[in-house]
Amino acid sequence: MENESKIALLLILPSLIGVAIFYYYPVAQTVIFSLFRMKDTQDWLASPFVGLGNYVTVLTDPHFLYAVFFTLYFMGVSIFLEFWIGLGMALAAFWVPSKMRGIVLVFIVLPWAVPPIMEGLIWKLLLNGNVGLISQGLVTLGLFKSPPLFLESPPLAQLTVMAADAWKMSSIMAILLLAGLATIDKEILDAAKVDGARTWYRFWKITLPMISPMIMVALLFRMMDALRLFDLIYAMTGGGPGTVTYTLSLWAYTYYVDYVEYGYGSAYAMVVFLAVLLISFLYVTRLSKHLRFKGEIK
Amino acid sequence: MTSRRVRRLEYLALSIVVTALIGIFTLTPIYWLVVMSLQPFTVSGIIFPFQYYPLHPTLNNYFTIIGGSYAFLIPLRNSIIVSSSVMALALTIAPLSAYAIARLRFKYKVQSLFLLMIGGMVPAIVTIAPTYVLLRAVGLVPSLLAMIIPNVFYSQPLCVFLLTTYFCALPFELEDAAKMDGYTPLQTFWRVILPISTPGLFSAGIFSFLGSYGEFMLASVVTEGYMNVATVPIGVLRFSQSVGLQWTRVSAAIMLSLIPVIVIVLVFQKWVIRGLSAGSVKY
Repeated sequence: MENESKIALLLILPSLIGVAIFYYYPVAQTVIFSLFRMKDTQDWLASPFVGLGNYVTVLTDPHFLYAVFFTLYFMGVSIFLEFWIGLGMALAAFWVPSKMRGIVLVFIVLPWAVPPIMEGLIWKLLLNGNVGLISQGLVTLGLFKSPPLFLESPPLAQLTVMAADAWKMSSIMAILLLAGLATIDKEILDAAKVDGARTWYRFWKITLPMISPMIMVALLFRMMDALRLFDLIYAMTGGGPGTVTYTLSLWAYTYYVDYVEYGYGSAYAMVVFLAVLLISFLYVTRLSKHLRFKGEIK
Repeated sequence: MTSRRVRRLEYLALSIVVTALIGIFTLTPIYWLVVMSLQPFTVSGIIFPFQYYPLHPTLNNYFTIIGGSYAFLIPLRNSIIVSSSVMALALTIAPLSAYAIARLRFKYKVQSLFLLMIGGMVPAIVTIAPTYVLLRAVGLVPSLLAMIIPNVFYSQPLCVFLLTTYFCALPFELEDAAKMDGYTPLQTFWRVILPISTPGLFSAGIFSFLGSYGEFMLASVVTEGYMNVATVPIGVLRFSQSVGLQWTRVSAAIMLSLIPVIVIVLVFQKWVIRGLSAGSVKY
């Protein structure tokens, strides 16, 4: 079997090396960057070493604290919306006649496939005071005298980006939960029906508990995404109005690209990384439980 | 009519209503994009009176952005080159690793998969600065290769994971039979496993294509503002920033850049959904 091990190693090497270069090496380099007072990336060796100085500056920056608050606020509201909308769509896709399921699934998947930069611009268009369908629609319906300032009023802008995120990400939630629903043994539900359990009771006491492992995976997955949120905000509000929709990733990007302060940018990026790392460990261990391997040598 | 038939009709009607509601929720933004892109261009950007569907539809916005100084076909071409190359290269490398992890005997196979997957969870914001420095040092900035090479490996964790789950599900008797015929592991992979794995390869290919098609953060850095190497997300964003209120043209640009994505989803929906439900998808 010695030979098989060698072949296996050879086969797996291209992916591993590439991932090492484009994922792991940058992490190490970012850690190093974050310890220097860097104006440009060209010569970090020549930059003054500041130890954890950048982290101290970043962690005590009110912008940082507000970005943490906003990221958590975003995570809470958008994942709440996505979970219930996604669950609704998954149950609907599960419930309709199988001939219609294909159409429902196409409807569900389309928003997921829209790249986030385009999504941000599309929502900007929908909410535009002059030509936006939603803005003008609300006025036509008589709910508002003039179009609401969706992206100009700070509290409203925060909620607006969460709703926009929910439009796209409810899709993935629905698909994941649908995969969970498909694993439920129909006989259990039928038995409960025979026993006289009402629809609502069956949903809360049987369906939801049975798909709870999938719910956990879906929620962890969405939390990771929300933590590194960038594209949607960048295209939709650019962090504004003021800085109320700035996320941690957007601050890091601003420091990299606009101020060319790689040290601060890296410190911001590392905070995002550590938060995501924590959740991804939970996530990967959960996922790997579902895999069976052949010839595993422990 | 029997009550059973009434109930069947009720079920059918309700199903149609539910399907329509989901359709309205997910398609309205795209409907509005199409409507705006078909509206005649106005300098002020305002369409008066407000119309819920185009009264005088025209394709002029599309012609304007394709031709003349906008040359929007360039980012579209670049994106298609980048994403197709990424897909081709990712599909060359990923099945090898997935096969080794799923079907061969060796130490540390779980650890290898872990290493790949944890890597895939590194947020883009952590990778862009060092990657830019690295690519600049080897003289690849700005170029399409500076997006192709990193994206091939950005897609590896997901592709390897999808293919590993796929290969794991194949019956193990396949190898036993191949071994009887005297096949080496590589021959088994090439002649036995790959030919029956097209669904898995499809999913992995689609995700690597879509992932690199929408990638913005790295692309925005390595293109350094040169529009001749810009991909679609950059092209659309810069275009919308430079023309401001010209929403009819911006809508046409967004719509053009969404066409490849929509075609892929419609044509390959089965594989997209299968891949998505295999879990762990980032985009």
